[in-house]
Amino acid sequence: MTAKSMTAGLVLFLAVACTATPPRTQPAATTAGGSSVCTEPQGNPQPETPTTIDVVEQAYFCILANYYGRATLDARALLIAGFAAFTRELNRGGRDLPEATMPALTGDRHADWAAFEAAYRRVTSRLPDDAGLQGKLAAATLQAIVAGLGDDHARWTHGVKRPPDFYDGDQYGLGLRASVGPQVRVDPGTALPPLFITGVLGGPAKDAGLRPGDVIESINGSAPFVDGEVTPAAVTALYPQYPEARAVRLHILRQETGRRRTVTLKPGLYQPDPATQQVVTTKLLRDGIAYVRLSGFAPDAADRVFRAISRLGASRTLTGLVLDLRGNGGGSPGEAIRLLSGFAHGKVTAYQCAADGACDPMRTDDSVALLGLPLVVLTDRGCASACEHFSSAVKDLRLGRLVGTRTAGGVSGPAQPYLLGDNTTLAFPSTHHLAPSREVIDRVGVAPDHYVPLTPQDAAAGRDPALDEALNLLHK
Amino acid sequence: MSHAVKDLAVAGLVVLAAAACTAPAPPRSVAAATSPSAAPTGAAALPAPTGPHPVGATTLYLKDTSRPDPWVPEVRARELMVTLWYPARAGEGSRAFYMTAKESELTLKGKKVTGVPYDALSRARTNALKDAKPAGRKGGLPLVVLSPGFTLPRSTLTALAEELASRGYVVAGVDHTYENYATTFPDGRVAECVACDSDTDPGFGTKVAGVRAADVSFVLDQLTGPDAKWEGSSLIDASEIAMAGQSIGGAGAVAAMLKDSRVRAGIDMDGTTYARIPKSGLSRPFLFMGSAGHRPAGRDNSWDRDWKLLTGWKRWLVLPGADHQSFTDVPLLADALGIAVPGDLSPARSMEITRTYVRAFLDRHLRHEPQSLLDEPSPRYPEVRFCTPGERCR
Repeated sequence: MTAKSMTAGLVLFLAVACTATPPRTQPAATTAGGSSVCTEPQGNPQPETPTTIDVVEQAYFCILANYYGRATLDARALLIAGFAAFTRELNRGGRDLPEATMPALTGDRHADWAAFEAAYRRVTSRLPDDAGLQGKLAAATLQAIVAGLGDDHARWTHGVKRPPDFYDGDQYGLGLRASVGPQVRVDPGTALPPLFITGVLGGPAKDAGLRPGDVIESINGSAPFVDGEVTPAAVTALYPQYPEARAVRLHILRQETGRRRTVTLKPGLYQPDPATQQVVTTKLLRDGIAYVRLSGFAPDAADRVFRAISRLGASRTLTGLVLDLRGNGGGSPGEAIRLLSGFAHGKVTAYQCAADGACDPMRTDDSVALLGLPLVVLTDRGCASACEHFSSAVKDLRLGRLVGTRTAGGVSGPAQPYLLGDNTTLAFPSTHHLAPSREVIDRVGVAPDHYVPLTPQDAAAGRDPALDEALNLLHK
Repeated sequence: MSHAVKDLAVAGLVVLAAAACTAPAPPRSVAAATSPSAAPTGAAALPAPTGPHPVGATTLYLKDTSRPDPWVPEVRARELMVTLWYPARAGEGSRAFYMTAKESELTLKGKKVTGVPYDALSRARTNALKDAKPAGRKGGLPLVVLSPGFTLPRSTLTALAEELASRGYVVAGVDHTYENYATTFPDGRVAECVACDSDTDPGFGTKVAGVRAADVSFVLDQLTGPDAKWEGSSLIDASEIAMAGQSIGGAGAVAAMLKDSRVRAGIDMDGTTYARIPKSGLSRPFLFMGSAGHRPAGRDNSWDRDWKLLTGWKRWLVLPGADHQSFTDVPLLADALGIAVPGDLSPARSMEITRTYVRAFLDRHLRHEPQSLLDEPSPRYPEVRFCTPGERCR
């Protein structure tokens, strides 16, 4: 399943989200009349056109025909969310109007849409006939309807642009990773102080001499935490996406020297070390323990891991495996199942469940050869979606031990993509995910067997206490 | 070494497709997963070259001990197989083979082509005489390096190579080891597509382009100079070297020109580019020749991006009716196997156009002969458009 905004901004994640084809538990749903409101995208996307109220209508009925809760969903909540966003957008542009009033709703999905559309058109007909303005209003409305589902795998992708001077392998942004990731936007409750840098990838952060362990005391003048509560808008500024290009000012404390300074980072394209961009990286640790980092469940990820392990095992007998899934934003559930199949056969790795409680099991692929290696999986808050499918199955099925911190809690269900009339893509799940013991992982996350958080001091010293703990466990 | 083959992978193009939902999607490779369309005619016969010289072909095994293999670091040297096509003395001899039966099998399996005998590609009929004596005067033959698309072997550029050799060029087709489904070394080892393991990684295309540049520099070292590894090396004019490639091989041409000033001119046939041209620009001649997916302001930004940095002679040709593989032997091979090839051009026509324009470019820049064909659209080749970013293609 594809993580939603949990890892938004990571190119890898986009790759996974857009190319993974999750197994379908049911055929593409259609409307009662049999005609498809929305269909799966085929081939290369055409250029986007401005969003219109007709596209919003298509999205609304697409959700009602296909979404997980389609039979029981109160469609009025979606329309209210959409209209609220519409009026906010009007107000923001100084264009509020007396007609911008929510119509009465009855609970009849079609009649309520008609009333909604009539009210919407009454307002927009009084605005300038400017495609940009009208498109922005419709986009805000559509975005809010999708957000109204409250589903971390429901997402509307539109307006994604790449810098014209982009080269393969480039990243855009400030060039840093911090202890609170971009998922803070949707899940602020998981963020813990202090905010510190966990990785310097390149670009502005590198040029400014920032280092892992540096504590970020303020962002553009705002404190990242106020009374222990995160300020999402402040932290989100650390992860600008093209074409956002405003400079970001940080107050930095280097703890070991006590030195404070201010740096100003201008978002831009930068070239990370290619080694850090690989989906699979491996090394042989002491005493024959293999270390494999998997940054996403990309197509072919499981076989790549198996081949990597087999290469490490060519030179010496392996005694254990550390699988590092920290920051793994998910990808294809099929790849998660395939990788699990290297550790167990004849097991259910997850269930895909309809809103009425009927569930289909996802089973191991028993044609995959068992590795027969003791396993420790490293997890953190960046492990989302297919990564949580994997780690919850490891835990429930006792295939190994989890070390690190709790996972993201972003695994509602496998997202199916649908093409809308403006050539944008709407994606959401038609089923929801349960772990092998039938517990919900979404929003909750998977708790590690051994809780080993990373401190700023560890980051500054280049220590990896979770990996140390993994090695201890494998040596026992 | 055994590595599972992947489904169609047009090199960095796959990476691009994966880079974002809005990323330009690749022109797709043909030989993959297509259904039989017409009655197969059996083994392909490559069109005869049109030049005055008989063509010889020979293979070289070259070993670069200065670097470990970039895909299999445990291998402490980079091993390369190169085919040379060249003008030959008239004579008797056996025809050069196209590829081995094993290479044919691994390539067809890799491309998921079913319904044809696995040795089908090895039976394609070439026009070159195996190991024929090279002909020419000392230092008289310009050299052209050819680099194939990702997962494809050097032999897929044979029809172009034979044409150029018949016109008096020495042509070096390079297999970039582990970047295609099968390369056979003289001792019988077969290297498979290890690079296919990581072809969805960000930065993959950049890595491949860089590896190809390094490979080409090494091949040039081995073909020219006092310690040259080929009996005909003294015939090569080392001051007149160009490189052409299809798909990521074309990206390799840009990368090789940036790395090695011996490469005087370059051609990219439908390949998304990856090498960073410095802001000061690249002033040596360059030809982009692409299918519809490589129109200016199209799905792929890379040619638009690089065009601004090409400061010398340059052309941007687009064949709207072409497929990604139209610049290779693939349509000719597929036709013979009864496999449908996308695009409006017949296999013979797309090869004729490819041969004609590539030769005109090389005659212009390595032989310094004027070529009006490259100045404007030609009524003889209405399929070919001349493009400039910001303007309509002519």
